[in-house]
Amino acid sequence: MTEAYDVEFVERGDRNIRFLVRGVTPAFANGIRRAMVADVPTMAIDEVRFIENSSVMFDEQLALRLGLVPLTTPPEGEFAEDDVVTLSIDVEGPGTAYSGDLVTSDDLVRPADENVPIIKLKDGQRLEAEADAVLDRGKDHAKHQGGVAVGYRHLQRVTVGEDISEFEEQEAQIIRGVIEDDGELVLTSEFDHDLSERYPGKEVHVEDVPGAFVFHVETDGSFDATDLVTRAVDTIDSRAADLEEAVQL
Amino acid sequence: MMVPVRCFTCGNVVGEHWEEFDERAKQGEEDPQEVLDELGVDRFCCRRMLVSHTDLVDVVSPYQ
Repeated sequence: MTEAYDVEFVERGDRNIRFLVRGVTPAFANGIRRAMVADVPTMAIDEVRFIENSSVMFDEQLALRLGLVPLTTPPEGEFAEDDVVTLSIDVEGPGTAYSGDLVTSDDLVRPADENVPIIKLKDGQRLEAEADAVLDRGKDHAKHQGGVAVGYRHLQRVTVGEDISEFEEQEAQIIRGVIEDDGELVLTSEFDHDLSERYPGKEVHVEDVPGAFVFHVETDGSFDATDLVTRAVDTIDSRAADLEEAVQL
Repeated sequence: MMVPVRCFTCGNVVGEHWEEFDERAKQGEEDPQEVLDELGVDRFCCRRMLVSHTDLVDVVSPYQ
């Protein structure tokens, strides 16, 4: 049942990757995208117990802000869906309470960004709270959404044609994404998204390459972008297995 | 009141860039466009979160 797909990286960073997949259908490409957005479990604060809150914001508002702080999500299998990690925060004004002030009970789950201001505290104001982080999916709440602005485009093949006539003005030809030029992958940002910049004085034809998709994946810091993709594919795999079992006679 | 933690539209974390943006572009003299580019806030949905934000905590704090 396993099929091999040809995957090629165009850009690769911790939180930001761009890669090309060949030999998939548009439906499957969209399935991966949707799984990355909605089906990969991530850690986020879900319940907050306030011990003291004399800041200018209500408990509920602060709980929402704490929930939106991205937390690092441990490797698959470390935690079950209903496990809880407790984080606590205790900051006294004057000063600002940051996400980095959250003290975690398990080092695998800690704030991915330390500089997010939670609330500014004035003289004598204090915030003391205990928060429970749980594993859940983007489907249920956007705070559990590991992938940010995940999308894909067709790979575009560029063929250079004839020279344009001497007296003709060349028009700008804007495309975005990644082009394939003689087997070489080129980001359109390298030539300002304008084909007339890369091939001056030439006629250029652009066509979509069937079955080839360039994904652009960004994460909120819960895990590496490559991790997000593999986890998304794993969720599709396990859901497909569940379905197969469910429809068995 | 406080700067939103994430971008409303795409969910990218923008709160962490607020203080530097405020210091350099709002209080300071630098061009907001350049500051945002340097901070790596690329999409216009995330950029508007910072550009259009006003901190009101100091205004509200006397009224408990």
